[in-house]
Amino acid sequence: MKSFTNRFGPWILALALVLVLTLVNRPRYTSTSTMDLNGFGRLPVVDRGRMKPIDTLARNSLMVISGGRTTYKDSEDKPQPAIRWLLDTMTSRLLKNERADENKVFRIDNDQVLSLLKLPRREGLKYSLKEIAPEIEELAKEAEHARVQEPAKRDIYQAKLLELAEHLQLSIKIATLEIPLLIPPKNAESTQWTTLIEAAQRAVATEKSGGEPDDDPVVREVITLLRSYTEGDANAFNESLKKYGALVSSSIPPEDLRRASFETVFNDLQPFYSGMYFYAFAFLLTCLGWVMSSRPLGVFLNRTAFSLVTFSLIIHTIALISRMYIQGRPPVTNLYSSAVFIGWGCVALGLVIERITGMGVGNAVAAVTGGFSLIVANFLASGGDTLEMMQAVLDTNFWLATHVTCVTLGYTATFVAGFLGIGYIVWGMATPTMTRVRGKSLNKVIYGVICFATLLSFVGTVLGGIWADQSWGRFWGWDPKENGAILIVLWNALILHARWGGLVKDRGIAVLAVGGNIVTAWSYFGTNQLGVGLHAYGFNNTLATSLAIFWTSQLAIIGIGLLPLNFWWSVRAEQSRDAASPKTPPPTRVPNSLKKGGRRINPLPSEG
Amino acid sequence: MTQSHVKARDGKVDPRDRSERKLKPQPTRAVLKRLVAPFASLKLTVTLLTFSMLLVFFGTMAQIDDGIWTVVDKYFWSVWVWVPGHLSVKFAQIFFSVPPTYQIDPAWGFPLPGGYTLGWLLFVNLIAAHMVRFKFSWKRTGIVLIHSGLILLLVGEFITRKYAVEGSMTIEEGNSSNYVIDQRSVELAIIDGSASELDLVTSIPQQLLRKGESVRNPLLPFDVTVREFYPNSSVTEPDDWNTSKANLATAGDGRRVKASPNAVVAGTEVNAKADLPSAYVSLIGKKGEELGTYLVSVWLSELSNRTEQTVSVDGKPYRFTMRFKRTYKPYTISLKDFRHDVYLGTDTPKNYQSDVRLVDSETGVDREASIKMNEPLRHRGETFYQSSFLPGDRGTVLQVVRNPGWLIPYLSCGLVSAGMLFHFCFHLFGFLRRRAVS
Repeated sequence: MKSFTNRFGPWILALALVLVLTLVNRPRYTSTSTMDLNGFGRLPVVDRGRMKPIDTLARNSLMVISGGRTTYKDSEDKPQPAIRWLLDTMTSRLLKNERADENKVFRIDNDQVLSLLKLPRREGLKYSLKEIAPEIEELAKEAEHARVQEPAKRDIYQAKLLELAEHLQLSIKIATLEIPLLIPPKNAESTQWTTLIEAAQRAVATEKSGGEPDDDPVVREVITLLRSYTEGDANAFNESLKKYGALVSSSIPPEDLRRASFETVFNDLQPFYSGMYFYAFAFLLTCLGWVMSSRPLGVFLNRTAFSLVTFSLIIHTIALISRMYIQGRPPVTNLYSSAVFIGWGCVALGLVIERITGMGVGNAVAAVTGGFSLIVANFLASGGDTLEMMQAVLDTNFWLATHVTCVTLGYTATFVAGFLGIGYIVWGMATPTMTRVRGKSLNKVIYGVICFATLLSFVGTVLGGIWADQSWGRFWGWDPKENGAILIVLWNALILHARWGGLVKDRGIAVLAVGGNIVTAWSYFGTNQLGVGLHAYGFNNTLATSLAIFWTSQLAIIGIGLLPLNFWWSVRAEQSRDAASPKTPPPTRVPNSLKKGGRRINPLPSEG
Repeated sequence: MTQSHVKARDGKVDPRDRSERKLKPQPTRAVLKRLVAPFASLKLTVTLLTFSMLLVFFGTMAQIDDGIWTVVDKYFWSVWVWVPGHLSVKFAQIFFSVPPTYQIDPAWGFPLPGGYTLGWLLFVNLIAAHMVRFKFSWKRTGIVLIHSGLILLLVGEFITRKYAVEGSMTIEEGNSSNYVIDQRSVELAIIDGSASELDLVTSIPQQLLRKGESVRNPLLPFDVTVREFYPNSSVTEPDDWNTSKANLATAGDGRRVKASPNAVVAGTEVNAKADLPSAYVSLIGKKGEELGTYLVSVWLSELSNRTEQTVSVDGKPYRFTMRFKRTYKPYTISLKDFRHDVYLGTDTPKNYQSDVRLVDSETGVDREASIKMNEPLRHRGETFYQSSFLPGDRGTVLQVVRNPGWLIPYLSCGLVSAGMLFHFCFHLFGFLRRRAVS
């Protein structure tokens, strides 16, 4: 029985944690209506060139407007799903649905903008159209001032004004039904989607020109659907939805319909959002495991953390594959997907490292990098659709699959080495538990990961050059992005040569690996900021500021890592152990007997 | 059993490693080695790599101010470079919220070794290291492969730099073209159209068009003195011609419009475009008679449909114009159709495509082809890429590149990847085997 607990306990506990966290994260809405809003959400529409379920459109638009949220509060401060906001907005003009104006969806976080609108600062910073409306003239005037101002000279107030104006415009476009292309083509061969207004106008025009009164059943059904929504008639809504669904499915290939309804399920599960919590919990468990590392419970916790990260990785993998299925592309197609993919790679590598070393460091790296990358991804997602269509030059699955994947994995490995370096420094500096042997063994892993990073970043960069040669005939152009990539290769090569030349030992490798974080962050985000940062000074500098904070933190860790070794707790602990048993000389080579137990976190009897 | 086997292996490997260090070669080789040794040091490698990173970093920052080509020449193909101090300030302004008004003395800065210096030193370092340290063994195969791949990559870059020719070809739908233009330089072309069949074109390259420079050549019907040369400019029709004093031009188009200098296009600009030069030139007849000062500009030639300006020398008319440098080709490309597809309901481009017909009178080639993004057309050592298009999708702009070294990066990539895979796998398997045995 005991062995059963030891063997399967961590897995069962981890699985339970996954289920609980998923359930806790699921948004709950207090709705009495029996309207099939989810069914409506599954209907395909076309927006920004992509066929997507209307649920995706609702979530992405709400995210943009409300600053990264897919739920909002209605007039009675009850949480509601994005699809309800979309329906409210779509019916606000056409059918005079007044609920729409009271939904608190516009995020206004700038005090000057708030005072212009004569609004109080309140928790959540979300405001409704009705609250903004009294001062809308003033807002329009000020926004016009900001618009004519040269982008480089706009201050934060003006930038935020324009942002709000853009969000209002998006909401108006939905209200006037300019977005999305709602009406499917008449038959499966055509691809000509139209907006509801265009379709209705077409019907009227045909009738006026003396032709047959254009009996467009789709238009009629959509209007019935929206009307029954406005009136709150659930039965009529569901009835009409059924009819409309049948009409749509007759004019769209079934594969596209399956894809759209799959995407709705994907949206609903929010795997990358829940993933943040999984990784955070795994990190917590790892830390607890360290604190109690001398007790059996510590080992148990560490193994639970391993199991939890494994489950998260499985979910992360399924989510990545789902995105690939929905988009029909290799995993990395834009900045958002690169963050998700880097996170995935880091977690996988962390688990491999944990299997090899078993010190909890692999778990920690997997949990921290996985969680961190998903936070970055969620931040990037507030920009809109993350499954956007590819520009013509990027429309090549071959190069996306080879160059982009390879170079992204190179970034991944460099980050993993960097975080292992942080682990080495923190472990050695702040705890007495890093013995020489364990330190060496962790350092070997860092070295191995750097080798891996050199290979991937070099091959990825050169493949990028070859892509450039294929698409505009220039292998290397020294542009900022290429330079960023080559910096990573140079940095990794520098670490390897410094080690081979004996210029650095274990600690030096760890410190240099942390430097890799700085270089990679520069290549990944920094180079983009040069153009953007200059043309939109003070505009969206959240990213620039976050980068500065990240760099400073890494420099601080490097500084700590460079403190003389007598400041290192683990070194002093080692010295006092040596003093206690002066007969045994410190081992110069790792005895095999010590390596064997590497997977255990509790100290071995032969040490100490 | 296994244990003793491993010991035997260890026993074999260890002494050989040591004997390598204690090797006693013949005297001449020893002297040679002593001479080469300092260049073979790994400390030198690490130092050079550090400088390379600094160079690449500041070579990126410099693109905030300068065009990418200027930076490439100044930083990456130079012996040394003076890095202005304000680049570091700019960095702090973008990322560390230093106020944009903060300025430092423009004279401040620091020198860095340029790309030439670093490239050669790394090359010497690498060769020396292989001479001194490396003996061929299976263990070293990976390293040798990696380094030969890297050398190949440097050689490839060198060949590209020296011998690659880039240009572009603009063709309107239904028309054809037999010349390539180089948007990075201009020429002043003087055209003698008196022969009935072919025009006789004499052109002055951009290198000679410097302020104050005079160009005298028996091939030219007149001398040309450059009064002003703007590497990037704009041409406008001023509202108030507060003229005669302000305007250099005494004849031709320059009496109607005016050119003023602009900053050259910076490399980090989001939509970096070509520089558009203009110049004021005085034409002086061979007998010393003034023919007038004219404004010549790519604004007047490439960017509008205006024809060349004309000047008469001894009653014989000559046309002249400033245009992007042209190279004529022995083949003709005609554009049948240009397609610019967008995603439904957006402006996001989905596909650019030029359907062309290529006729080469010398080789007798006559074929049709489609040129798309990522799908170039190759002909006689030249490659045609879909690069841009004319406003209103009236025509296409093809990038035309002749690069004798284009295959080298492919080889190099293969060599280095194979080398790295071999080297790291060799060590990884060794590591895993030792673990497994223990």
